[in-house]
Amino acid sequence: MTGIFTADAENRGLVLDPRTKLAVMITLVVFALGNTGSDIAAVRYATIALCALPMVLLFTAKKYKKSAAAGLIYGLMKAAEILLVPKASGAVLSLIGVCCLVFVRLLPGLIMGAYMLSATTVSEFIAAMHRMHVPVQITIPMSVMFRFFPTVLEEFSAINTAMKMREIRIGGRNSGKFIEYRLVPLMVCSVNIGGELSAAALTRGLGTKVKRTNICKIGFHIQDAAVLVLTAAPYVLWILGLTGVVK
Amino acid sequence: MKGKDLVNIGIFSAIYFVIVFIVAMMGTIPIFLPMLAVIVPILGGIPFMLFLTRVNKFGMIWIMSVIMGALMLLTGMSWQPLVVSVVTGLLAELVYKSGNYKSAAKAVLTNGVFSLWIGGNYLPLFFAAEKYWASRQNFGQDYIDAVNKLMPTWMCPVLFAAAFICGVIGGLLGRKLMKKHFVKAGIA
Repeated sequence: MTGIFTADAENRGLVLDPRTKLAVMITLVVFALGNTGSDIAAVRYATIALCALPMVLLFTAKKYKKSAAAGLIYGLMKAAEILLVPKASGAVLSLIGVCCLVFVRLLPGLIMGAYMLSATTVSEFIAAMHRMHVPVQITIPMSVMFRFFPTVLEEFSAINTAMKMREIRIGGRNSGKFIEYRLVPLMVCSVNIGGELSAAALTRGLGTKVKRTNICKIGFHIQDAAVLVLTAAPYVLWILGLTGVVK
Repeated sequence: MKGKDLVNIGIFSAIYFVIVFIVAMMGTIPIFLPMLAVIVPILGGIPFMLFLTRVNKFGMIWIMSVIMGALMLLTGMSWQPLVVSVVTGLLAELVYKSGNYKSAAKAVLTNGVFSLWIGGNYLPLFFAAEKYWASRQNFGQDYIDAVNKLMPTWMCPVLFAAAFICGVIGGLLGRKLMKKHFVKAGIA
């Protein structure tokens, strides 16, 4: 969570355009989660290749442990779906079946989300949104939000420590106040910090009507082309499958 | 809408999303997955009610709702939540607007309507189910029955209804806490 859009810009390996990442994400959502064209064998194989892409990308971003863990979990789930499910029966079947149904489909997208958040800087993200002509009414709140996440978490852990000292925790003497005594101070301090942030935003020209500039350079390179070709593959195969060229 | 309003949207979206994120962590255990529609609206109601005291222009609730949907797309929960959140956000906005951005009762109702976007997260799991079965006929009827028993289609509207009802409960809870703390502290 602390890793949201706080990428180390110098030391993150392969740099992709944020729009490429978004394209991969949307394709994953359509094919892995949405099961589009899963009645065509070629699309199924392309989807599996596509599902491996987020793990590879995480690996290039030097998140070796995360990448390996994600690959292992996805591999086990997919194997369970193919090997175990046809043989199981009864309660075991229900349990494995639901786990597979949920995780095999959700996991690739979630891993891609983890990659996107950990390998993109806020500036890049905002620059990409700007290029895609997303209105400022959306981009400004979003950039404030991403700036604000680490602060919220920091405050929350400090409040958490203080409340633990007062025995206000799950299983403690005052567990009934658990939520109230955390959320209320968190909001009071957030509101105060928010006032300061508003002032800071004004000095950055967020309140004016002029067009804002961004020094962050984004653009498509060879690595983007490679990823985009892989991303386009399932769509092409799907269309070919619908017209009956491949099965 | 001025810069300050946009900053406010950002701050409250951050608090709201932290709650969503922490609860969603529990959702990785499949049994807790439906509980998202219950816990998030109740806990989220607390910051949302405080947010509503700062809403006085058309579009603020809508933008927050769209941002929630966009975040779901960014974190890999499919595009359906975004579509749902665009619609429910506008509805929530209209509900609160009908009370001139002041009515307390409308504010509680607004949290209920706003919370409907959480139901959108479940849509991909129900939506493409038939396609999913079509490509897995060889698993047998046993499998299909077993999974359908745990995830029946009627669960879908139930989850939306749960989100709405818990949103109203969360709104009432938020109001109670606001009277108790924030009004006294002078920030509501």
